[in-house]
Amino acid sequence: MTEGQDVLGEVVAMLVEVVGEDFLLDVEVGPDTTFNRDLALESIEFVALAEKLQGRYGDRVDLPAFIAGMDLDEIMNMTVGDLVAHIGSRLGAAAV
Amino acid sequence: MRGRRVKVPSLLGDMPASLGGGALSLRGEDTGRRRFLFVVPPLVGHINPTVALAAELTSRGHRVAWAGHRETLEPLLRPGSRIYPAEDPELTAKLQDARREWLGLRGPAALKFLWEEFIVPLGHAMMPGVEAAIDRFRPDAIICDQQALAGPVAARLNDVPWVTSATTSAEFTRPLAAMPLVEEWVREQIGDFQLDYEIEDLLDLRFSDHLVLVFSTAALMGDTSFFPDHFAFIGPALGRPAAGAAADFPWEWLDGKRPAVLVSLGTVNGEAGERFFRVAAEAVADLDVQAVFVAPEGVLPDPPDNILVRPHVPQLKVLERMSAVVTHGGHNTVCESLAHGLPLVVAPIRDDQPIIARQVEGAGAGLTVRFARASAGELAEALFEVLTEDSFTEAAERVRASFAAAGGAAEAADRLEKLT
Repeated sequence: MTEGQDVLGEVVAMLVEVVGEDFLLDVEVGPDTTFNRDLALESIEFVALAEKLQGRYGDRVDLPAFIAGMDLDEIMNMTVGDLVAHIGSRLGAAAV
Repeated sequence: MRGRRVKVPSLLGDMPASLGGGALSLRGEDTGRRRFLFVVPPLVGHINPTVALAAELTSRGHRVAWAGHRETLEPLLRPGSRIYPAEDPELTAKLQDARREWLGLRGPAALKFLWEEFIVPLGHAMMPGVEAAIDRFRPDAIICDQQALAGPVAARLNDVPWVTSATTSAEFTRPLAAMPLVEEWVREQIGDFQLDYEIEDLLDLRFSDHLVLVFSTAALMGDTSFFPDHFAFIGPALGRPAAGAAADFPWEWLDGKRPAVLVSLGTVNGEAGERFFRVAAEAVADLDVQAVFVAPEGVLPDPPDNILVRPHVPQLKVLERMSAVVTHGGHNTVCESLAHGLPLVVAPIRDDQPIIARQVEGAGAGLTVRFARASAGELAEALFEVLTEDSFTEAAERVRASFAAAGGAAEAADRLEKLT
C-alpha cells in the first residue's frame, strides 16, 4: 500500500512539474483526476510526462504501450489512478 | 506557377480549346471541357484551397460548382460561383450551439466529438443536397473533402469518379498508429456510414482510389515515397481572394528595421485563445520586433507600441513582410507561412494541429509550445530562437522550394484533366 502511495505522490509531482503549479490552484490532483477532462493535458505535455515516467521507472513503465491497449472511451476517461495502478503492476511484475 | 491558360478566340463562342494537347477538337461532344463538383464541409480552412483550385480550373475553360453550406461558402467564393445547398438547418443550428463545448475539447475527446457530432451527421445531412447537385450539375468528377463523407458515397452511388481533397496532411502520417483500437474505431465510423447507404464494398472514404490531392509535400510531412502514384502531393494552392482588403492595412506601420512577426489563431477563438493572445503580447513586448496580431476586437485593449491588432488581415500580402509566424497550427496558415519561407512557433490546440506542429518541428522549420498553459517566457524564448537561429529559416526555405516545385493548383488541375 505504501508503494502505491509513493507512486501516486511521484506521478502527481511529475504532473505538477509538467503542467505548472499556477495552473493547478483549483484542481486537487488525486487518483480520480482525469488527464483529458480535468487536466486538459496537451500533446506536448503528455510527451513531457512520458519522458519523466521513463526517466523515473525506466523501460518497466511504457506509457505509449499502456495507451495502445485502450479504446477511445478508456483513453478519454483515463485517470491518474489508472496510471498509478499500471505503474504499480509493472513494478510488481518486475520485482518477481 | 505553371499553367496552360490558352484562351480560345471568340470565333468559337465559348467553346474552349481541347485541353488534351492544344489542338482544337471539332467534335462537340468532347471539347476537353469538364465539370467538377466540390463537396466541402462548412469549414473555412477546408474551403479555401478549393477556391484556388477552382480558379485554375475555370481559367482552363472547365466548369466548377460547390455542394455545401451556402452561408459559409458565399463569402469565400468569387461572386457568381455556383453553389448547390447541401445542409440541414437543424444540424447547422446544433453545431452553432455545440461550438462552445467543442472549444473546450482536446485530444481524444475532440476526436470523438469530430466524428460523432460533426463528420457523420454532416455526411448524412449533406447526402440529399449532394445527390441533387450531381443530378443537376452532372459533374465529370467530384472533388470530395476528407471530412465530407457524402461526397464519395454519393459519387459511388451515382457512378461518378471521385477525388479526395486533403486540405490537411495529418491523415497521411497515420496519427493514430499508436492507438490501434482508436484507429479501428475511426474506420468503423466510415464503414457504418457506407452501410447506411447499402454500399457493402467498403472503402476508406478518406482516400480515393482514383486521385488523392494533398496540399503539402514530403519536405514538410516526411517521406511520401511509399504512396501509390494516384496520391498527388501538390503543395499549397494559394490563389484565393484575400479576406482583408490590402488597401485597409496600415503598411507604413511596419518600419522594416526590426523583424516582424504575425500572430494568428486562425478562425478559432474562445477564452483560451484570448489568454494566448495576452501571453503572446507579453512575450513580444520585450523583444525587439514588431508584431501583427490577428485578434478579435477588445482582446488586447491597450497593446504595447510594437503590436498592431487587427481583426482581419490580407494574410498572404502580410506574410511577404514578416520574418516569422506564431500560430495554432492550422494547416493553411502553416503552409502559407512556409510558402513564404518563414519559420514558425506552433501552439497546437486540437485535431490535426499537434500533428502538423510535429511536422514543422521534424522539418526543422519551427518550434512547438503549449497553448492553454503557454507562458510569456517560453513563448518569447521560442520566438527568439526561430528568429535568430539560421537553421529554422533555412529549413523553412527548403519547404518553400519544395512547395514551389510541387506545382500547387496547376499540378492539381493537370492531374484532374488526366482523370476524366
